[in-house]
Amino acid sequence: MLLSFVTLLPLAFALIICVLPQEKWIRPAALAFALFEFAAGLKILAQFDKSSAALQLVDRLPWVSEAGISYFLGVDGLSLWLVMLTTLLTPIVVLASWKSVDKSLKGFHAALFVLETSMLGSFLAMDAVLFYVFFELSLVPMYFMIGIWGGQRRIYATVKFFIYTMAGSLLMLLAIVYLMFAARDTLGYMTSDLLSLYQLKLPFIAGDFLNPQTLLFFAFAIAFAIKVPMFPVHTWLPDAHVEAPTPGSVILAGVMLKMGSYGFMRFVLPLFPEASQHYAPLFLFLGVVGIIYGALVAMVQPDIKKLVAYSSVSHMGYVMLGLFAMNTFGISGSVYQMLNHGVSTGALFLLVGMIYERTHSREISRYGGLAKALPIFTILFFIVTLSSIAAPMTNGFVGEFLILMGAYLASKPMAILAISGVVLGAVYMLWMFKRVFYGQPGELVSDKHHPLVDLSVRECVVLAPLLILIFWMGLFPNHFLDYSKASIDHLVEHRDNYYLTLHAPASPATLAHVVSAKPLAATGVNR
Amino acid sequence: MNPASPLEWITLKDFVCVVPILAMFTISLIHLIVKAVLGNRELNPNATLVYNLLAVIVAIGSTAALFGANMGSKSFAFSNALVVDGVAVWMSYLIYLITCVALVLAYDHVATRGHQFTEYCFLLISSAVGMVILMMANDLIVTFIGIETMSLSLYILVAMSREQILSKEASFKYFVLGSFASAIFLYGIALIYGTVGSTYFPQIAEAMPKLLASNRMFLAGLGLLILGFGFKVSLFPLHAWTPDVYQGAATPLTAFMATAVKAATFTAFLRLFMNGGLATSHDLYNVLVWLAVFTMTIGNVAAIMQNNMKRMLAYSSVAHSGYIMIGLLAAGFGTNYGAAATALVFYLVSYAVMTLGAFALVALYEKSADTALEVSQLRGLGRKHPVVGLSLTILMLSLAGIPPTLGFFGKFFIFSAAIEQDMYWLALWGVINSVISVFYYLRPVVVMYFESDDGSQEAAAELLTNRFLTRSAVVLMAVLIVLIGLFSSPLLQAVQKSVLNLL
Repeated sequence: MLLSFVTLLPLAFALIICVLPQEKWIRPAALAFALFEFAAGLKILAQFDKSSAALQLVDRLPWVSEAGISYFLGVDGLSLWLVMLTTLLTPIVVLASWKSVDKSLKGFHAALFVLETSMLGSFLAMDAVLFYVFFELSLVPMYFMIGIWGGQRRIYATVKFFIYTMAGSLLMLLAIVYLMFAARDTLGYMTSDLLSLYQLKLPFIAGDFLNPQTLLFFAFAIAFAIKVPMFPVHTWLPDAHVEAPTPGSVILAGVMLKMGSYGFMRFVLPLFPEASQHYAPLFLFLGVVGIIYGALVAMVQPDIKKLVAYSSVSHMGYVMLGLFAMNTFGISGSVYQMLNHGVSTGALFLLVGMIYERTHSREISRYGGLAKALPIFTILFFIVTLSSIAAPMTNGFVGEFLILMGAYLASKPMAILAISGVVLGAVYMLWMFKRVFYGQPGELVSDKHHPLVDLSVRECVVLAPLLILIFWMGLFPNHFLDYSKASIDHLVEHRDNYYLTLHAPASPATLAHVVSAKPLAATGVNR
Repeated sequence: MNPASPLEWITLKDFVCVVPILAMFTISLIHLIVKAVLGNRELNPNATLVYNLLAVIVAIGSTAALFGANMGSKSFAFSNALVVDGVAVWMSYLIYLITCVALVLAYDHVATRGHQFTEYCFLLISSAVGMVILMMANDLIVTFIGIETMSLSLYILVAMSREQILSKEASFKYFVLGSFASAIFLYGIALIYGTVGSTYFPQIAEAMPKLLASNRMFLAGLGLLILGFGFKVSLFPLHAWTPDVYQGAATPLTAFMATAVKAATFTAFLRLFMNGGLATSHDLYNVLVWLAVFTMTIGNVAAIMQNNMKRMLAYSSVAHSGYIMIGLLAAGFGTNYGAAATALVFYLVSYAVMTLGAFALVALYEKSADTALEVSQLRGLGRKHPVVGLSLTILMLSLAGIPPTLGFFGKFFIFSAAIEQDMYWLALWGVINSVISVFYYLRPVVVMYFESDDGSQEAAAELLTNRFLTRSAVVLMAVLIVLIGLFSSPLLQAVQKSVLNLL
């Protein structure tokens, strides 16, 4: 029941926050809740068996049994770190918003916890419809977060965000329904259980667009590509990021974008192996275009936050490149890059938010010479910049290096083009760093009426875990990759006939429950 | 009526089937007579409400006592002209519950609780009687009687909010167009009788496959019937009256019309078409598909441009008719009727809950019969009345079909039914329309939470805090949406059981 506990606990927190009588209790209570949730997340990590590629800590109950929909949660190496990232970022965000959010506190923290539930649910759900429910549910709190606590053009940004994502995911819903009926026709029972859906062999005709597997592949791929976001459908992202409040940006970049790339790993590659293989060049190409285009556009942004937003497009391009390289290097690199991006872009958004709180401006041209005025801030910003441009010894290097190795094995021209993206990444980050921190003091920095104050202890505490992670992940990647290795190897090895089994259950009670569930008779309980 | 079985004498057994509606009608009528006898003075509205609610509860109770246990069986009455089966029983519960809510809303609303509240309640109940007859009808003549009983009461009801000029216009429009639609429907019956030689549903179904292929007159008759039905459920191109009438009618009545009329008419529609006889006719199928697509699209696109809340909801109800048509097409032209009919009935239930809640919210804002609530006037609702604001948010998200609300599962089952019958295009259109609809369903939410109260625009409307019952209705519907959404299995099972013997 651990996974259900972790997933649904934030929902309970949200309710408690709603009924707290005193406004001043909300922040401490929310922080305590979020830390408790993180501790519960660590418990998952402790109980996780890293030698196994099977699905672990499974919770399974019938939900709408008439249509074969079940409440089915499980964790494996692909989702484990994303769960940890979610539970880690939430307390950080609560602490980071301590001063900046002052409008309807209750609503803000309630939305944050509902968002946490829906994100954890998306990563842990092993039933397609349950996944869809969490995936869509996550839109609602984020919609409010941008709409209520956002900037000037927040309404435009949030409606665009909502409709964009919804448009993609409704196509996916049709595809899920189709898969459920396909399961009924071939397996004999209607189900949306992923373990059963993996057994489907969908007809595929290379070169022909109108065949089931290709259409389903694109229905899923478009939904997730919008979420990632991949190159032609990325336009909601800069708007949403610029208008979102700092905590919203951190969660959006840190976790919500990963729901898209995770969806590719969990659904697209295993469910539609031939189509993924056949259309991989297209996605490799779009990934590379995203890398270069994101970097070039980031370079000319006058607004720091928009620059970071476009750098997300570039970084997520690497993730897609690695995934569609479809070898161990590429996918390990992608899994790693997802974490990296959560950590370093999260930290960048936090830093941008901190300076915005001081000056109420994000325009690069109004800064300059900040290094003298705010030394601690400058040092921390520089470390995160290095991580973002993938300097060795930081986390970014490991991820990008693995991805580029994978891409080289899959397609040499794409790898070569992608490497140019690494250079461009260094260019836009360092150029921005130079313009903001060095040179003549800009009008905001030299303003005598509003002297700038360096980071407070609270702000250092907010950043500390992320900075530690940057070096930890950069120096000891195996501490992290070991947990995902078995699952990634399994995914690569069984690329054409993916299956997933359940890890030997810990207690007899869960075993009895698992055996009684019908679809399992077909999969086998143990591997 | 039914040539297969010679005309029988009406026995007591026949009356058993209509006990619930007879009881409801009589109880409500007695109250009206009392008023007339006592010098036409308006009675105490509290007593009127309680008394009429009692009438509906008697109907629910007697239905449960007579048919509650045998959901799976079928009984006939009046020479097989009426049939009581699972769907009829199940949907009549829905109609009774909608009537209860509509009575409560009417009691709470200034436009309806005047010195004609007794008449108002009576007409509402007699309209419900017509609906139940319509749903039990197994013969075209009885269908027509049901439609007319339902509609005539509604024509008067629409005209009854006395202050409003819009109400007069709406009533006149509805009456003229409605009579026209009835005439068309009657003409359709005549043509069908002329070709089949009977107005009895099973005989029409039997003759349908052969006649559809060979007989143009039969096809014309069927087309006219569809037009007649289409007017009542506001299918394109017969939807134009909907926004005007919904706007002109008093809000409690609009809530009743938007939900109960649709539920009853679609049930009758389902009974006539779900017999497998249509499966061969591709032409008819194509026509109906395009009707469904246009209904959805035009409803949704027009709703985007509305600023009046009631007109927006009216167009949204047009769009929902389109979604329901998807279910109807899957049931009428597909091979697995059960699943499609289940989806349709489930959708009708979910649609009724959402729409009742939304109109109840509009009623919360109407100080007089002339108030028109603009979407932009909802500003600040989320902060000033968090519970009502949250309820409205849930209602809107459910109408848009965001999980895990009831509206999501309604759409999920409808689209599943279409995909199961390989009607991919139809499902795709449904999905595209769901995306369009998100845009206008989010607008009230945007306005009430996101827009700041800077005083530059027109003043935000004041929520009437003294309408406790209406407010409870809004909250209750929102709670139902979430609860039934999270635990939809029991409802789905009940619906599944009820449609089993429809064929």
